[in-house]
Amino acid sequence: MSTIRPDQWESVSPYLDQALTLSEDARAAWLASLREQNRELADCLETLLAEHRELANKGFLERPPLVITSEPPLAGQKLGAYTLTSPIGYGGMGSVWLAERSDGRFQRRAAVKFLNVALAGRGGEQRFKREGSFLARLAHPNIAGLIDAGVSSEAQPYLILEHVEGEHIDRYCDERRLDIRARLRLFLDVLAAVAHAHANLIVHRDLKPSNVLVSNDGQVKLLDFGIAKLLETEQPTTATMLTQEGGGALTPAYAAPEQVKGEPVTTATDVYALGVLLYALLTGLHPAGARTRSAAELVKAILETEPQRASDAVKPANEEAEAVTSIATKRATTADKLARLLRGDLDTIISKALKKNPQERYTSVTAFADDIRRYLAHEPISARPDTFLYRTRKFVRRHWLPVAAAALVIATLSVSLFQVNRERVIAERRFTQLRQLSNRIFDFDKAINNLPGSTDARQKLVAVSLEYLEGLASDARSDLDLTREVAEGYWRIARVQGVPVDLNLGEPAKAEASLKKADELLEAVLTSRPTDHLALFRSAIVARDRMILAQEAHQYADAVTFAHKAAGRMDRFLLRGDASTSERSDAAGLYGNVAQALINMHLYGEAVPHARRTVELARSLPSGQYRAAQGLSLLANALRYQGDLEGALQSIQEARKIAEEAVYENEISRLLNIYGVLLRQGLILGDDDGVNLNRPAEAIESLQRAFDMVEEAARKDPNDAATRTRVGNSGTILGNILRHRDPQRALAVYDTAIRRLGEIRNSVPARLDQAMALANSSYPLLSLHRGSEAKQRIVQAVAILKQTKDYPPESVKLDSAVYIVSCADADYEAKEGDVHRAVQMYEQLLAVVMVAKPEPLNDMWDAPRMSHLYENLAALYRRSGEADKADGMQQKRLELWRQWEQKLPDNAFVRRQLEAAALPQLIANN
Amino acid sequence: MGSNISSLIEVVEKGDGSAAEALFAALYSELRRVARRELARQGSSVSLSATTLLHEAYLDIASQNGTPSFPDRGHFMSYAARVMRGLIIDHARKGQAQKRGGQFEITALSTDVGESVADHRELERIGAALDELTKTDASLAEIVDMKFFCGFSFAEIAELRGISERTVQRKWEKARIYLHHNIRTQL
Repeated sequence: MSTIRPDQWESVSPYLDQALTLSEDARAAWLASLREQNRELADCLETLLAEHRELANKGFLERPPLVITSEPPLAGQKLGAYTLTSPIGYGGMGSVWLAERSDGRFQRRAAVKFLNVALAGRGGEQRFKREGSFLARLAHPNIAGLIDAGVSSEAQPYLILEHVEGEHIDRYCDERRLDIRARLRLFLDVLAAVAHAHANLIVHRDLKPSNVLVSNDGQVKLLDFGIAKLLETEQPTTATMLTQEGGGALTPAYAAPEQVKGEPVTTATDVYALGVLLYALLTGLHPAGARTRSAAELVKAILETEPQRASDAVKPANEEAEAVTSIATKRATTADKLARLLRGDLDTIISKALKKNPQERYTSVTAFADDIRRYLAHEPISARPDTFLYRTRKFVRRHWLPVAAAALVIATLSVSLFQVNRERVIAERRFTQLRQLSNRIFDFDKAINNLPGSTDARQKLVAVSLEYLEGLASDARSDLDLTREVAEGYWRIARVQGVPVDLNLGEPAKAEASLKKADELLEAVLTSRPTDHLALFRSAIVARDRMILAQEAHQYADAVTFAHKAAGRMDRFLLRGDASTSERSDAAGLYGNVAQALINMHLYGEAVPHARRTVELARSLPSGQYRAAQGLSLLANALRYQGDLEGALQSIQEARKIAEEAVYENEISRLLNIYGVLLRQGLILGDDDGVNLNRPAEAIESLQRAFDMVEEAARKDPNDAATRTRVGNSGTILGNILRHRDPQRALAVYDTAIRRLGEIRNSVPARLDQAMALANSSYPLLSLHRGSEAKQRIVQAVAILKQTKDYPPESVKLDSAVYIVSCADADYEAKEGDVHRAVQMYEQLLAVVMVAKPEPLNDMWDAPRMSHLYENLAALYRRSGEADKADGMQQKRLELWRQWEQKLPDNAFVRRQLEAAALPQLIANN
Repeated sequence: MGSNISSLIEVVEKGDGSAAEALFAALYSELRRVARRELARQGSSVSLSATTLLHEAYLDIASQNGTPSFPDRGHFMSYAARVMRGLIIDHARKGQAQKRGGQFEITALSTDVGESVADHRELERIGAALDELTKTDASLAEIVDMKFFCGFSFAEIAELRGISERTVQRKWEKARIYLHHNIRTQL
């Protein structure tokens, strides 16, 4: 009998019910009587019942198939490039493991955090990974970097974090008996890190001592940035504080009132938690009082009770004398002195950070830091002490309408801003409002980020903000603080509009207009206060941003002007000698940008000091290795085109060493940095047609590694266009060297490059790169006597150039795709076709090259390429019997290198070129 | 999460078949989450029965949902048991889980006596036959999920389904016959 069909089952089922209630003996009689009525049915039942006896005997389905046990064989498990080694701890969020990365030559440690959250299906996973990759870009020396986020094969989300060894900041301070000023200086580093995250639209949400570590050498590291948010969407936010407290999801002791109430979290929430942290660091106590409380009491205190003044909290009268003495001793002082130290400005600063109403707190972490800096410098602070009335008044619980929809948020913003404009209240009020603007931009950006079509909302946000700023800018002139803030506002808006360093709206012209306004306002401030800390710094950054935009817009003269201004302002800023770590880190980046821009514009000599500056600054930074490597790499490039190839090689080797040993914030930056130095090293050693050391074998080795790295990355991520571009670039460079020695291998490399570039959709630069690679691949094909395929590829390349409207050209740069393709076309003709036709093609090419005004006599970039062009044409003239023209070309080539020899006497590269150029003549003369 | 599941159950109960997939996905991750939590809570090297797991998951959802009567325990268990079946078969299919990630393990019971039921091919065949049985007689398949895959006793199933224990037993035997027959004839 075959499988039971549903209709069969339906007829058989009631009889089975009957049979199963009968005893074995009774069943036989029952079946016999049934058989008389329906033989077929009875047979079927008999079979099934026999089978039942059999299955009962063997205990079919009687043992549970599985049990669930907790033997976590996690050690040795691999997550990406990391291998788990041992558990570090278990917490409310999940377990934490130590992991090691080993890729052969060097090892790195990381912490892997498994999160006990359920991700709702694929959407949740993708969101988790997306958010994770966003956080991974948060690079700051005082923030423990997120290296990667992912979901394990068991559907458990995990985070790979920089492994930090250190103590909780409060314990660190106590153990070392740091005094109040030392504590404040350490706290400033915490603020710098949080400010950096806020500038990147990331709010921490769970700042507390266990998330603020200090390493043995005194470096602050903040942990778990943005992770609270990562978890949030999977767990309902409202009404969670009390219920989840046991689970340890959030830490009520450091929670702000708005968090307790389940209201929107903003940068002001972090300001509050930082206030609690500062209170604890300075007094050793919690602002809600020293006594241990239940979670419910704590929540009530957070919402309703004004915290005791820090100076009052440490008065022996208020606490047990012994406890207070112990607190004071840990701060290298006595109880009385401690209370006196805290009274006044520090009380005011803490109280400002701990306001129940987010709007009354410091409007930014930077403002908070400014006040602490002022306190340390014995300058008057900006926060005003609370009035007696304020302190005695019981805090009235406010009910905020939760604002969910972006439209509503924007509307609210507009209304409040317009009201401010109309009322034209006193300057101070406007000043506060303005400072809140940048905070608000965070909130709104967050609110609108997840909505479809958020670009519209962002544009509206920009429009509203600009309108507001314009209203203020006109009468801010008399108030320099306000002017500086307005400038800051314009700069921020510009970033949203379109400076290509952040995600932006892609409106560079509008961004430039905003930057110009910011620049003008800052100039006004600097006229009266030539050494203003913030104005100098921002002025440098604004000039740098304008430099980038000018370069993108091909306005090179402007770009050079801004480059010099950016560097000049930054020089002046650094001369002040009070730059924070993060400011110095930004400065190192800025000099690097300037050097890069100058190199792009072929101003190699001018680029050198800026590249050196980057290296110098980066070396003094705690986590500056990768910046130093970038700086050295820039320096190598600038030196190379100055003809100093030995210096270039030395720099790039140093860069390579640093890049390979550095600890990176994430995989991507590791890959990019190492790839970058390998590529550049290869170019210096043996770039075909470029300034090089003529060491092709080593060049090939270096480039092959670079190529393999990006090719592997491209294989792993089918959507990564940038990596594909790199496969194309490195493949072309590698192929160009290889093809003279091993055409078969060169062809394989070119083919990979062509294929990867072809996988990039809708990109004109990728098409141009592909045309270049196709044309280059014709050379090894010709060497391998596969002429028709070579021709086919050239035709394909030309077709691409026609599509991109680059062909036929009117003016040709020596580094353009159209130049490479035209050369390949003419070389093919010379080898397989008609020499006279090839000569014509080269003459035409030379003519259009001259239209682009190359400067082979001044620019080391152009020189070898131009020389090569002369050489090729000379050879063709000779073949076609035009000896005079051939000599003329040869003479031009020789003259080119003679001039260089005068400029760079005893330069090995120039000498080599000169000898090569003189060779045909030597042969002719002998 | 909890209220999400209960609202999904509500939607599915109203006959919206398209929500079933979402419900199963949500339950799937919920069961994993609860398993991890329970194992973490109990410390190392303990084992957890599928039944305990389902009870814990139900408690979570019911308490988060606020209304103690919803979702109905019986309904919840029959959906969750169906998901548990998938979880176990998936697991068996993946082979030895040590190689894979995650914080908990579902390991096979010792099968040195008699027929090895933990063989993933057999489990897959049972799963496929159960899918057929669901189309023919869903209540039988449900009982197999609860008894075989989740380890509920007849008494518990009777209570959850609101039928007599004898009926449960009879249905169980019928289901076994169906499955045994269909699996054997497919070999």
